[in-house]
Amino acid sequence: MPTTPDTAMPPSQGGPESTGVPRSARRGSSAGRSSGSRARRSGPASMQARALAGYAGTYLVLALAAVLTLGPFLFSVMTAFTSSQQFAQQGPLAIPAPPVLESFAALFAPSAGPDGFLTPVVVTVQMVAVILVGQMVFSVLAAYAFAQLRFPGRDLLFWVYIATLMVPQVVVVVPLYLMMSEVGLRNTFWALVLPFVLGSPYAIFLLRENFRGIPTELMDAMRIDGAGTLRLLWHLVVPLNRPIIVTLVLITVVTHWNNFMWPMVITSGPEWRTITVATSALQSQYNNNWTLVMAGTTLAMLPLVILMIAFQKQITRSVGNTTLR
Amino acid sequence: MNSRRPLLGWLLIAPSLIGVTAFLILPVILAFVVSLFRWDLLGTRDFIGLDNYASLLSSGALVNSLVVTALFTLISVPVSLALGLVLATRLVQALPGSAVVRVIVVIPWVCAPLALGVVWKWILQPSVGALNQILGVRIEWLTDPSLALPAVAFVAIWQNVGYISLFFQAGLSKIPTSIYEAARLDGAGPWQSMRHMTIPLLRPTTFFLAVTQVVASFQVFDMVFALTGGGPQHRTEVIASLVYHEAFTTSNLGRASAVAVILFVLLVVITLIQQRYFARRITYDMS
Repeated sequence: MPTTPDTAMPPSQGGPESTGVPRSARRGSSAGRSSGSRARRSGPASMQARALAGYAGTYLVLALAAVLTLGPFLFSVMTAFTSSQQFAQQGPLAIPAPPVLESFAALFAPSAGPDGFLTPVVVTVQMVAVILVGQMVFSVLAAYAFAQLRFPGRDLLFWVYIATLMVPQVVVVVPLYLMMSEVGLRNTFWALVLPFVLGSPYAIFLLRENFRGIPTELMDAMRIDGAGTLRLLWHLVVPLNRPIIVTLVLITVVTHWNNFMWPMVITSGPEWRTITVATSALQSQYNNNWTLVMAGTTLAMLPLVILMIAFQKQITRSVGNTTLR
Repeated sequence: MNSRRPLLGWLLIAPSLIGVTAFLILPVILAFVVSLFRWDLLGTRDFIGLDNYASLLSSGALVNSLVVTALFTLISVPVSLALGLVLATRLVQALPGSAVVRVIVVIPWVCAPLALGVVWKWILQPSVGALNQILGVRIEWLTDPSLALPAVAFVAIWQNVGYISLFFQAGLSKIPTSIYEAARLDGAGPWQSMRHMTIPLLRPTTFFLAVTQVVASFQVFDMVFALTGGGPQHRTEVIASLVYHEAFTTSNLGRASAVAVILFVLLVVITLIQQRYFARRITYDMS
């Protein structure tokens, strides 16, 4: 039986000594698994051995996953800190000796001109901030109306909102481009934010689900105290739903920081380039200057990696919150 | 329970209603309209009926992109789901150190597919690429017509496995451990419990993931754009790449809109089938 847990277990993960059971006994137990009485007799030892082999297998899978995930990031960050001279001599596997900021400096130097990253960083931060505030405010307002108010057409409208969840960006990108060009907004900041800033059906849908659970007594009590709708939202509805709102903030930041197709299509030239568009332009323009290009990708990815590590609990939890109800 | 305040209700949804109407509903209608025109960036706007659809079909570009997208989906979705499940079963054991791995494997998911595509394009470079240097070979991963699509699918799988495992971890944590103990006492091995208990009990999660991943991979664009730009010989020209090239490389907005309309119809059909199927399957849900 070559695939019994005993033989699958590497010696480093605990030989017979660590379990205190002779190897022969454990081998017997796994062979005798089919016969009930023998399996029961040597049960504990067999289970222990199996558990150890399981741990070894688990750690092997986990180590492999971690290495394969981090490898590409490690290569790209290492190259970003390698001098172009060392890269030319030693190739992509060289450990930067010494690590230099030459590529990053080149991206932010005034001499970088239109290919610099200063403008894209500023544009991206502004764009994400405006979209984030707009989407949150307008989505909270709409979700509250859908969840707590009664008005004619409410259910039909909500159904329409849900239906628009099926519309992918690639389908609307050409008509949106024509519309923006028609009103003279092509290659402006407005064109970057306008399609997203007035709220998102996805956010409204998730918020409505959560807003429906707010106890009516609490709201009535605040209303009797003379609170208007905006005060009610800010002091009761939003604080009560903090987890889902934090989740939505994270999703919105990640989505729009990373968005590429729309910013690429609607901007021309370096004025309103976002980081993703600048990274793409850098790559096509400096095809073989990989130290510079990797500095660009590092800048594009690093802020979100930091954000993700800082908010890992919220992101992990969001999976349960947002999709599997 | 709900308060009846029509004016306030309409006032509160007004901004999002304007947004949804102007930037989602109107563009979809416009896509249908533009697909019936010869429409370029210089101002030509001639009504030509269904000619765009006809020329797309006869040129083979549409069929090619549908086949490429279907192949990409058929490779990337099953493999990333299988690997995500394997990873999840290991992560839920919660051994010391697995908390760190749980965070690490989700990192690619928050990164821009465009940036990851650029990084992988560099790793897969024939001469200076890290992969060929490690393997000591010189393989044209992204420019060999038969390797390009599998290579692109591999990068997509690499990005998604950790994220997919999050959903399987959530699903696995809902299965009571007592049933595994019962199965073990009955003599079931790890593979048997996986095959006959874990996989059936995870069916709602698997199904949800399969549908969302299929829909997402029908829309893939950024990563393909960065890795191959649709080449070599259109072998990686997915539907979204075709839309982009028709509209902004060859300035044929009518044909681009026709491709977009076909993609939209496809996605609606997939979503509707999924919802009917979901309604029947929902009884398998443990919660």
